[in-house]
Amino acid sequence: MSSTSVVYLKDHNAGKFIEANLIDGLTREDVEKAEADWTPFLDEQVKRMEETGVPRRQWPQHRHWNWRDKYDATEEYLAYRMFGIECQSQIQGLMLVLTAGKNSKIPSQKGKPLAYVHFLAAAPWNLASIVAEPRFSLVGSILVATAIHLSMEEEFQGRIGLHSLPQSDDWYRKTCGMTDLGPDQTVQNLRYFEMTPEQASGFLR
Amino acid sequence: MKMNLSKEWLIRRAALDEKQDISAGTINLNKLRAISPATQAKAVHASTETENSNPAFGILINLWRRKKGLRIDELAEKARVDVAELFEIERNLHYIPEPRTVFQLAKTFDLPQEKMLELSGNLTVRDSSLGQEAVRFAARSESVEKLSKDEQRALEEFVKFLSEK
Repeated sequence: MSSTSVVYLKDHNAGKFIEANLIDGLTREDVEKAEADWTPFLDEQVKRMEETGVPRRQWPQHRHWNWRDKYDATEEYLAYRMFGIECQSQIQGLMLVLTAGKNSKIPSQKGKPLAYVHFLAAAPWNLASIVAEPRFSLVGSILVATAIHLSMEEEFQGRIGLHSLPQSDDWYRKTCGMTDLGPDQTVQNLRYFEMTPEQASGFLR
Repeated sequence: MKMNLSKEWLIRRAALDEKQDISAGTINLNKLRAISPATQAKAVHASTETENSNPAFGILINLWRRKKGLRIDELAEKARVDVAELFEIERNLHYIPEPRTVFQLAKTFDLPQEKMLELSGNLTVRDSSLGQEAVRFAARSESVEKLSKDEQRALEEFVKFLSEK
């Protein structure tokens, strides 16, 4: 069952905060709508990058993600929760979180359960790697805050873990203050980050 | 879920988030199998293996690419797939590529998508004869710059087998 709560995004065109909905439990229609909005925009931008000679390493690294597949693969599992932020009739960010079977790797927290952020992405028009002037900011922070709240709700005390795409490593390390546990050879050498209960409190303060 | 985020928090975080990329998650779906509804009916289950036990997919792509006289980056452009993943497919014969990549390559080479999904380790199909045929194909192929006559023949026979209904 889906529920919504009010959050706020910073609209760069208007220069102010505007109301948005955080949706917990997206429907397939929501995800299809997001894909229908995101994919043509993303394809157009990738084509532009290709034509203007932007090196492939600078292209958005999650351009191949298919959120419908992710939805279909996980919708029957209670342990997976999919969240979206809707604003101005469009989905501005999506996140898939796993709430079972993942434990902390940080020595002080070792073995304690955490919420694992399986996938997190902002709409392509909100990505600095794609557009010179992203439309909204706060999508990432609100989704991370959501994962922390979910972790607390599951009595994991705010512990979360995720594998960052290289373009976002600095954001998780410096801006979110997560612990960088280094490249994970089992997950395409992506860097694995975790947030302890103390870091989670710090992030929400 | 109630989110109580103060105005001060929003202002501070908005400044920190500006012009940042925030993506997390694996680049492919190896850890989260996903298949199209069209293929689900025939599938016993989507593979949960993290390695493809059958090396034929990578070999097929390698031979087909060379047959077409394409470099890896040229094929990546043509199929609109990531060059790094294409390298991985050819270099690590037990790598399971992302389903989208398999679809794109199947489309580019005009090969049947479901069999390519099965060959790539994304899908397990009941009573499939593909496995044995693929092993025979793989055993006849060697990684050399130019296709040998035997490789050429093996490729043609295997593609014919793949294309059979």
